[in-house]
Amino acid sequence: MSKILEVKGLTHTYGGNTPFVNDAVKNVSFDIENGEIIGIIGHTGSGKSTLVQHLNGLLKPTDGNILLEGKDIWDEPKKIREVRSKVGLVFQYPEYQLFEETVYKDIAFGPKNMGLDGDEIDKRVKEIIGLVGIKEEYLERSPFDLSGGEKRRVAIAGVMAMRPKIIVFDEPVAGLDPRGRNDIVKIIKDYRDTYNATVLIISHNMEDMALLADKLVVMNKGNLEMFDTTENVFSNAGKLKSIGLNVPMITEVFFELKKMGLKVPDNILTVESAVDYLLSLKKGGVLNA
Amino acid sequence: MLRDITFGQYFQGNSKVHRLDPRTKLLLLILIIVFIFLTQNMISFLIATVFTACAVIISKVPLRLYLKNLKAILPIIIFTAIINVFYGNEGKVLFSIFRLTVNTGGVYRAVFMALRILLLIVLSSVLTYTTTPNDLTDAIEILLSPLKFIGLKNAVHTLAMMMTIALRFIPTLVEETEKIMNAQKARGADLENGKLTERIKALVPILIPLLISAVRRAYELAEAMECRCYNGGEGRQRMKKLQFTLLDVIAGFVSFLFCGLIILFNVVI
Amino acid sequence: MDNIIEVKNVTFEYSDFDRSKTVINDFSIDIKRGSFTCILGHNGSGKSTLAKLLNGLYKPVKGDILVDGMNTKDETTEIAIKRRVGMVFQNPDNQLVASIVEEDVAFGPENLGLSPDEIRKRVDESLKSVGMYELRKSTPHHLSGGQKQRIAIAGILAMRPQCIVLDEPTAMLDPKGRKEIISTIEKLNRESGITVVLITHFMEEAENTDRAVVLNDGSIIADGTPKEIFSNIDMLKRAGLDVPQTTELLHRLKTNGVDIKTNVISIKETAQEIYSAFHLEEN
Repeated sequence: MSKILEVKGLTHTYGGNTPFVNDAVKNVSFDIENGEIIGIIGHTGSGKSTLVQHLNGLLKPTDGNILLEGKDIWDEPKKIREVRSKVGLVFQYPEYQLFEETVYKDIAFGPKNMGLDGDEIDKRVKEIIGLVGIKEEYLERSPFDLSGGEKRRVAIAGVMAMRPKIIVFDEPVAGLDPRGRNDIVKIIKDYRDTYNATVLIISHNMEDMALLADKLVVMNKGNLEMFDTTENVFSNAGKLKSIGLNVPMITEVFFELKKMGLKVPDNILTVESAVDYLLSLKKGGVLNA
Repeated sequence: MLRDITFGQYFQGNSKVHRLDPRTKLLLLILIIVFIFLTQNMISFLIATVFTACAVIISKVPLRLYLKNLKAILPIIIFTAIINVFYGNEGKVLFSIFRLTVNTGGVYRAVFMALRILLLIVLSSVLTYTTTPNDLTDAIEILLSPLKFIGLKNAVHTLAMMMTIALRFIPTLVEETEKIMNAQKARGADLENGKLTERIKALVPILIPLLISAVRRAYELAEAMECRCYNGGEGRQRMKKLQFTLLDVIAGFVSFLFCGLIILFNVVI
Repeated sequence: MDNIIEVKNVTFEYSDFDRSKTVINDFSIDIKRGSFTCILGHNGSGKSTLAKLLNGLYKPVKGDILVDGMNTKDETTEIAIKRRVGMVFQNPDNQLVASIVEEDVAFGPENLGLSPDEIRKRVDESLKSVGMYELRKSTPHHLSGGQKQRIAIAGILAMRPQCIVLDEPTAMLDPKGRKEIISTIEKLNRESGITVVLITHFMEEAENTDRAVVLNDGSIIADGTPKEIFSNIDMLKRAGLDVPQTTELLHRLKTNGVDIKTNVISIKETAQEIYSAFHLEEN
């Protein structure tokens, strides 16, 4: 494993009298290994969005550096668009950025901006629709005729077709029902496995985080509050709650059991692990007060 | 940045200027602007400046907000000044470029014009900073209400409602534009470089999503308004009945006094 | 208790250029005065359409909807119906009309042609009951999603409706905003006796309601108390709904032979169930 992304002392302050002042980022540092799935959690206005917009150079740090594969992304400001194809960013409700006449053209927009030739673009579009589960006959349709869930998958495919080494999602499942949500989660995992990519996800849904993320970045008022494995972060339920964040429902149940005087572990995050643990007790374990 | 636009923004406060009836403010603004363009010499112009300064001070709106508006409009002021420099043909000739000559009269005129626009912007800002958009549209609706008698019954109300909604949605759409721009930049769109035609073409990925979103918002807003029993202007009451107070009388009196002084010094000198 | 809304064999279809799609199919439901009903369904189950039918924004193709005895198809009672059944939508940004909080809340009563004093009184009352009175002079644009949505609710309250229909009011909010909205709605129902119809796909929001109705393909597939509904996990999954992890855990334990109740949803109750099923057994 090697470091693909290093955030070093990142600070960003918005100037002047804007309502976004409190969305600043203060001296944040962490490293990400290639192939990891990183969750970013924190309140609205904790600096999460500001943080991720630095990773692909949409924002320039007031202070500090972003190193991509060991190289500062602002070393050559002229080449910042190259960085943007290496670090893909999928915004919240990405379906609202669709604009082309056909699904094909919309997905091809990113690769075209990279200056790829027609054959390569064609290859990439056809490959990515397989991954996101869009049928080939949809390619000539207007993206605006698709259902909500399909539109989102097309928009995500538009970023994935650039084949970024790192892909960042801001609330990728917001507004979707369980079916749509499972689709997106699968797409994210498949992309990581197929292209050996690194994934960062901003989400408010701790249950999804428990299932997906290897590590968590916890932001609070612009500061990096915690950066650790998902298990360790959620085991620290007290600290998360003190800054007003939740833990997964299951962890919460075990937290409650502990309060009732039982000796239960802190690191039960998913239904699966809870069932396994409780059933193992059944088979002759002890659960003493 | 886009979000620096302060046009039509209201600055919460409770100064004497805030408390004036919006109709008074609107009418006096028009009056004073007319007189500012009537000023013919430095003394009457100085009087108009004093009036503007008073309005700014009494409004208790931070000076930097006025400066921000001026900064935004600076190119227009400079442009007007340059045009005017070449326009004059009085006074001593200073220098000439190509076939254009610049003389003292032209410089005088240019400075004057720039200062006039400057006052105009500051005074308009006093109005928008101290008046809520709703009050402003109410005032316009009432002041235009005589139009109802010449067969434009619904037009006046509709116009006022359109203004209210436009002012309400400007910040929302500005924010949305920024979001869409960032999303397309993240997909490698190049908005900063290239020839003019390329840059215009690069706007398509921003304008289309913005348009679609605006239509969607309009549609949803229409339904929400219907749910809140909106039925056109018919039978509509307002929570705030606009009322003239002693303050309005005083403001009117003071303004007329200044206008009188401007005329006086125009004639005297 | 009588019914504030009666939906009788209603069918509704959308017609695009060439195709028409039935979204609500021979649908009937009565909403009791003062009750808190939650309507659950996945995206595209017809729940938003149903919401818009309830106050006459859409008219049924077949069947009738009576609000306080008035038919929504009757044009003469259109305003009277909208006054009785208020509606709050998903996107808080797209339902606020004015740039100042209190002026927005006044919009409804202004349309009703009430006297300025009465409007003022209602605006203040409504803003207080959603906890936004202190921010009455602010600009909605500078507020959080949860706060904007509370203003939208206040705007409806100011018309003094007997019933409020909320169409996925929390879908675009963060967890904090969601809590704000749900507790506001629960309080309105409990303290002011306002009938509430909450349309959502978040199961947790149904927890404290009187009745939960599950919608799929435009028809009711389950109707009962929240506890009854939650215990039927297979039905919920069939309806494409999210099963809260707590319920899922209890269900999984039960299928593995643990003697445990499965019709609870809150963290505390779940912990208690596990406590009594495991701990007591050990002693």
